[in-house]
Amino acid sequence: MTEGALVDRFDRIVDVVLQRRDATAALRDAELGPLAAVAADLRYTPSEAFKAGLRSGLARRAALSSAMAGGGGREGLTTVTPLVAAGGAGVAEFMTLVFGAEHAPLKPGYREVRVGDSSMLIDEGHLQTLVPLRPAEFHVSVDDADAAFERALKAGGTSLGPPTNRPYGERAGFVRDPFGNHWFIGTPLPGGLLPPGRRTLMPFFHSPGARDFMAFLQRAFGAIEERVHEGGGHVVYALMRIGTAQIEVGEADEPSMPGAFYMSVADADVVYAEAIDAGAASLLPPTDRPEGERLAAVKDPMGNHWLIARGLR
Amino acid sequence: MTASTDDERRLIEAAQADPARFVELYDRYFDRVYAFVSRRASDRALAEDVTAEVFHHALANLGRYEWRGLPLSAWLFRIASNALADRWRHDARERNEVPDDVADPHEAETLERRVMLFQLVDRLPEAQRQVIQMRFVEERSIREIAAALGRSEGAVKQLQLRAVENLRKDMRRRD
Repeated sequence: MTEGALVDRFDRIVDVVLQRRDATAALRDAELGPLAAVAADLRYTPSEAFKAGLRSGLARRAALSSAMAGGGGREGLTTVTPLVAAGGAGVAEFMTLVFGAEHAPLKPGYREVRVGDSSMLIDEGHLQTLVPLRPAEFHVSVDDADAAFERALKAGGTSLGPPTNRPYGERAGFVRDPFGNHWFIGTPLPGGLLPPGRRTLMPFFHSPGARDFMAFLQRAFGAIEERVHEGGGHVVYALMRIGTAQIEVGEADEPSMPGAFYMSVADADVVYAEAIDAGAASLLPPTDRPEGERLAAVKDPMGNHWLIARGLR
Repeated sequence: MTASTDDERRLIEAAQADPARFVELYDRYFDRVYAFVSRRASDRALAEDVTAEVFHHALANLGRYEWRGLPLSAWLFRIASNALADRWRHDARERNEVPDDVADPHEAETLERRVMLFQLVDRLPEAQRQVIQMRFVEERSIREIAAALGRSEGAVKQLQLRAVENLRKDMRRRD
């Protein structure tokens, strides 16, 4: 057979292979059968563009993970720590009375309030000139929701809803403190949706379109879904991990009050750039601060403020 | 512990300490994972979706991976199997069908052969590699490839045959 006839005959075999037609005869061909077998396997060759694109996407995600690493640095202080304005000594005192919290200056400008295994940061003034801090919402797990709810009212809180057994498996009440923060105070019920091992104090985000918000958190901060419970086509409850922190997300008709969160990261510039790329608005480009932090701030599509800092350990 | 498993363990620990090193694991395992997934996936789009899911999941969870002496590929294959099963369950619910069992006694052999083939394709001379990608991955016709590469159809067919002959020769040499 001439060379030209051979290349044509092999090309017809390739056509058969690519069209997923019966290639039995080609595979039995004494001359071209072994090549037909290779051609059949070649259909499974990965696309170079896909392989390179996935590699590049993973490298970028890995760089974000590296940039997010090192958050917290000690127990309680995780990658994402809720941050509130001081309200004088009010917020810390309220938390002490209701949750038995302890508080102490962490470094100039910040006070740390510890509740169980978690921490909250209170800004004592230096951030206010850069990023406005607003009241926010928190989910606190306690041994006895009814007793903590009563203590919250005695400490000046206003009831937004007395403790009741919630269908997802928590007995919880809702209180507004005198400084405008909302506290969802709950005790998990046996057999409920809430996974064990959650931290005492959890930032939670209720939002219409919770899935979109979760996608933003994944793109911007490399958040990982740890638990997702869906119902009626919506996310009923999701537990997500951002670095060493956990947060909760759920679908709601009305968005929760946007809060402010302090992110302790290894590379504020990289995290800031990814957040902007994911759709956040810049509040403060990465800046070296006199307090020794490299600090940036963004606003997410839900209106939450994220302070992205390297240096506070 | 063999040199290879020792090397693998070092790579895993490096990526656990610094996620930026994860791409080294990707480079090492991509072909194997893709071969595993593409053998089970009904089409290329699904194979790519699931392969991407496997590596993103692995990156996100590598910190929790505990070395127990098994190759990392066993963990990656388990992630892939779960991802495929999720999709099959979803599709089966939509079509009210149960997927066929994909058990294959020659699985390991097929996998090894394809991984070797993928690696050999990467090493083909540039023009032959291009033709293989366009013909077998993009499933373009000889005429389209000829137009894209500025060659005659006869020349493209010739490159196609030469490429497959070279692959066959190299595979026999390695067997």
